[in-house]
Amino acid sequence: MKERILVIAEHHKGHIVPTTYEAITFALELNSLARAKVLVMILGKSVNGMANMLAETTGLDVLGLEGDHLEFYNAEQYKHAIEHAIGNINPLYICMTHTAMGLDLAPGLAVRLNASCITAVEGIKPNGGKLSFVRSMYGGKIQAEIIPELKKSIITLLPGAWKARERYPDKKGSVQIKDVHRGVSISRTFSVKESEEESLNLDDADVIVAAGRGIGTEENLHLVKDLAKIFNKSAIGASKAVCDLGWLGYKYQIGMTGRTVSPRLYIACGISGSSQHISGMKDSQTVVSINLDPNAAIFNVSNYCIVEDVTTFIPVLLEEYKNFVEA
Amino acid sequence: MRILVCVKQVIDGQAPVVIDETGAWVKHGNISPFRMNRYDEFALEEALRIKEKFNDVTIDTISFGPPRVSSTIRKAMEMGANEGIHILTDEDSFVTPFEVASAIASYAKTNTYEIILAGAMSEDDMNSQVGQLIAELLHRPCATLVMHQEIREGGKELYVEREIEAGRRECLYLTLPAVLTIQSGINTPRYPSLSNALRARKAQILTIEAKDLNIPEKRERLTGLSYPEVSSKGTFIEGTQKEKAKKLLGILHEKSLI
Repeated sequence: MKERILVIAEHHKGHIVPTTYEAITFALELNSLARAKVLVMILGKSVNGMANMLAETTGLDVLGLEGDHLEFYNAEQYKHAIEHAIGNINPLYICMTHTAMGLDLAPGLAVRLNASCITAVEGIKPNGGKLSFVRSMYGGKIQAEIIPELKKSIITLLPGAWKARERYPDKKGSVQIKDVHRGVSISRTFSVKESEEESLNLDDADVIVAAGRGIGTEENLHLVKDLAKIFNKSAIGASKAVCDLGWLGYKYQIGMTGRTVSPRLYIACGISGSSQHISGMKDSQTVVSINLDPNAAIFNVSNYCIVEDVTTFIPVLLEEYKNFVEA
Repeated sequence: MRILVCVKQVIDGQAPVVIDETGAWVKHGNISPFRMNRYDEFALEEALRIKEKFNDVTIDTISFGPPRVSSTIRKAMEMGANEGIHILTDEDSFVTPFEVASAIASYAKTNTYEIILAGAMSEDDMNSQVGQLIAELLHRPCATLVMHQEIREGGKELYVEREIEAGRRECLYLTLPAVLTIQSGINTPRYPSLSNALRARKAQILTIEAKDLNIPEKRERLTGLSYPEVSSKGTFIEGTQKEKAKKLLGILHEKSLI
């Protein structure tokens, strides 16, 4: 049995999703610790082009699994295809990103392959000849180190925790494409709907002022909007909690299942900073956070931390700004 | 039709979380504010909406944990669940999603549930695993991060939309029986009605000892807990509100941001 570290690539409309390269970075780091070759697996209706591109860019071997039934991601079909394609490969680790696809696929695949499953991993630590995987709990207030007990492990990686490499070995990996049969159809994915809300230009904003549950009420949203107005090229954003409450539409959501942003300045107003939110904004150049809880996880990724109630602090800040402009 | 809703009791997100003296787990004081995991509230509400739409729907709610979690089961019954099931463990300790899912699957396999619902994740452990694991253990199809569901074909099929990146939705059909994990924001969970609250107060909760369920060994082991390192780059701005505001504006001006 060939021992391998497997990466499951993710793609959308014929393009590899960028976080796949983060999973590859992670797999290469595992490779230096666990000494097994990295193999990238890509599943879809027609993956030859993407498989060759991956092999060329990364220098890694790529296995493509093709079938008409794999046009869209579907947990049942993916589990079936992966289980059968593994054949004589012994995957010590199967790595994927903790995206809507990764978190959907990983646990069930782990049961099927008799593997340990650790999700939303942010770090690796050698631990007495074994590897432990670091992940956040309690909205980022606690970090846990977890060791898999079984021989195989499925790991999902928090987006943004590893950086995609800029350079790879200057060679092309091998590409193999296999046809796979359809599994039992107890689940059938037939389309992907685009977002109905028009997208905001959060990507182009130099400054993003984001609202969290700490703003207290929907009426207080104007504070965040007023604060955004003092900056050029600014936009407002929100934590998932605020979107769930219906205070702002989901197009404003920053973090997992929302947008990933990296503005020059990010001001987090009353956002506690779950790892899901942080993964969407931590590459911002400067982060200012205002939160009443001095232990809020958002402060761990902030350059400037202000322990205050946003609802009373922003009015003072706006008042001082007026004085500042006049001076 | 029978629906099972998995609920978890979590510590309120605003409450401080402290690692215990042995470093093995977190400490929950008697005064810790516990409540239902918000994602599970959305799952329960979705079950209640199915019940309102179709005849002959009963909703059972199940939770795994120490004696304290019974208050969350009762809360679910106050919201409108018919029966409560408590898989009772001795104490607060690290539990893996696989153990919880194995216990619930073991209970559910002898009871015919057409739909099993769970929250997309728990606010404390944030694993996003239990629903998918139950589905696999029971050989049922599963959709996660569900933002819309409709029962079709006279109860044979479930049409589901799941939320994926950038607000897109994957559309799929699942053959019933099936498992769904519900994304927050799918609905607005209700407050308990007075009549349900009175009924729930008197209702019996079926208690099953976890040790009687043949739960398999842990597949993942917790070896350490720590507080995240506060990155050294962070500066706490001190002073009165006015002083803090002035200092912040000074910093932003220096960086040419204003």
